[in-house]
Amino acid sequence: MALSTKSFEIFCGTGGVGKTTLATARAQNLADSGLRVLLITIDPAKRLKDLLGLREEAVGEVVPVEINGVKLHALLMSPEKTIQRMSKKYNTPDLEGNRIVQILSKPYGGMNEILSMVELQMQFDSGLYDVIVLDTPPGAHFLDFLESLNKISSFFDQNFIEIFSYLGQKTARAGKKFFGLNFINKVISGGVKKLLTYLQSVTGAQFIDDFIEAIHIIYQSREAFLKGISLKEKLKSKKECNWFLVTSIEQGKAEEAIEIRSHATHFIHQDHYLVLNKCLESKLSNWSPQNEDLTKIKNSLELKEINLKKQLKDLFPVVLEFPEVMSLSPNDHLLHLTKTWKSHAL
Amino acid sequence: MKDTKRLYIFTGKGGVGKTTLSKSFTRLLMEHDHEVAYLTFQNQSLTEGHKGTTKKIQNGIQEISLDLEECALNYIERRLNSKMIASWIVRTPFFRALINMVPGFSYLIFLGKILQMQNDNPRLIVVLDAPASGHALTMVESTTNFGNIFGSGIIFEDTKKMLTLLNDPDYTKIHVVSLPSLMSWQEAMELKAGLKERTPVDVDVTINNALYPLLELHLQELPDGLRQKALNEKKLIDENQNEMLCVLLHSLSQDNLTIESDLVGSLAKLI
Repeated sequence: MALSTKSFEIFCGTGGVGKTTLATARAQNLADSGLRVLLITIDPAKRLKDLLGLREEAVGEVVPVEINGVKLHALLMSPEKTIQRMSKKYNTPDLEGNRIVQILSKPYGGMNEILSMVELQMQFDSGLYDVIVLDTPPGAHFLDFLESLNKISSFFDQNFIEIFSYLGQKTARAGKKFFGLNFINKVISGGVKKLLTYLQSVTGAQFIDDFIEAIHIIYQSREAFLKGISLKEKLKSKKECNWFLVTSIEQGKAEEAIEIRSHATHFIHQDHYLVLNKCLESKLSNWSPQNEDLTKIKNSLELKEINLKKQLKDLFPVVLEFPEVMSLSPNDHLLHLTKTWKSHAL
Repeated sequence: MKDTKRLYIFTGKGGVGKTTLSKSFTRLLMEHDHEVAYLTFQNQSLTEGHKGTTKKIQNGIQEISLDLEECALNYIERRLNSKMIASWIVRTPFFRALINMVPGFSYLIFLGKILQMQNDNPRLIVVLDAPASGHALTMVESTTNFGNIFGSGIIFEDTKKMLTLLNDPDYTKIHVVSLPSLMSWQEAMELKAGLKERTPVDVDVTINNALYPLLELHLQELPDGLRQKALNEKKLIDENQNEMLCVLLHSLSQDNLTIESDLVGSLAKLI
């Protein structure tokens, strides 16, 4: 197999243990082969930041990094910075001016997923990179999120958003008492009005004001969001994207891999790879302990690993194995894993 | 025995053994005659073909898997006193898009449901097997965030109540689960620090799956790679012991149920 010539490589899965390091090693491996690489990661451990030489100020910015003599670009996602870039690029109003948007765009405010799609799209548009490696937000549910994207596009559905947008302008001018205004009754569709009335009865009026303003502002940024959402098609395409589903031996749970697999059938094309991290087998197979306790331990560890691999190989077209690296130095981890990527020659 | 809390949240990166540990902990509480539910979140966005909330007894444990749509529906129904209006709202594309765009919302809905269940049944203890780590922060933070967003009204009052319980050390306790490897440990400590910034409840780190204590007596007989692994674990545990609530041994059993039962006796400190 030739080295990837695809525009995107996505790392996702339940295994937080080692996913970011594997993605970083992959980025190093790709850059080492002469490609222009951007690594986008969210919420990496501090030691990875140190390893990449990224300081606090660099968070949210694309910065050149050098790992083990290999040059590439890296971006530690910050929702706030992504929004700023987005406003600038699409010349949209200041999203951060609104209280609701402000709160939601905090690092754990819950907009990481959609903003990482927007960021991915913007970086792709820059044309600066041959390949972008995305380490998805933690958790098993990035695939869930992608599946829900068509729902999200309906957020920007003309029919009711135009009305919100109109309302937004009116409220900005006319103050807060828009509910009683007559023209609203004509403009607003019955459904949206009802929804707002119900909402107001549980949330209070201030929220409705902020909410309409937020919708208004977000709607004006719809181009950015919709473009980000449309990136889904590229990620679905075999020609443009490699998917890596990461799990580790320690997990020892075939059910989770099965779950990933069922997600994968919904969303991912057949060219995807299961990445099995922290394999011990090579270290165990040549060992014949003389003592009964150790034999038990060896057999137990080995059996766990063999069983898991067997189950996974039935489920996934390609299983890429990576060894557990015993060093305490994060750089050793990277070097080892990069070497393994190279040997997989993907 | 110590007084138990009402809500135990188990969190940590994927693959650290959260599920086994939280189920085992559920068993421990049951052995002390508590009414306990082991609880997970089924989905975090509104997609088609969801199963609905499921409740079953699995190997003696009451397992509840919460469905987002059903929880949202229940909440709105309760608040607006109308099933019809609630199901209409939940079906609007706008509502669905909003929830899906802002996953933090789903946590609010789930947490609200848990606290409602406990309000309805004052004896019920919930062991929550929370999604992987960044999400635990989202979960704690979203409650505060939405409190700030709403500012007033019924949801605001509900969120405030939720926050009071989540921030009450007598009610809630958070366990971060980590493997005995340096990287996993450091991530666990970062997660703990992040959680401590956001909530005053106890946040403790438990080490799971430690191999070193089993190998300790035979270090010289091990192949290089495995010896190094054991020594790395030893170093980590020796240096950070006072930050570890407890260190759980690697189990030699092959099936999760046996592992779960084997662990029960070692979990008293987690109560």
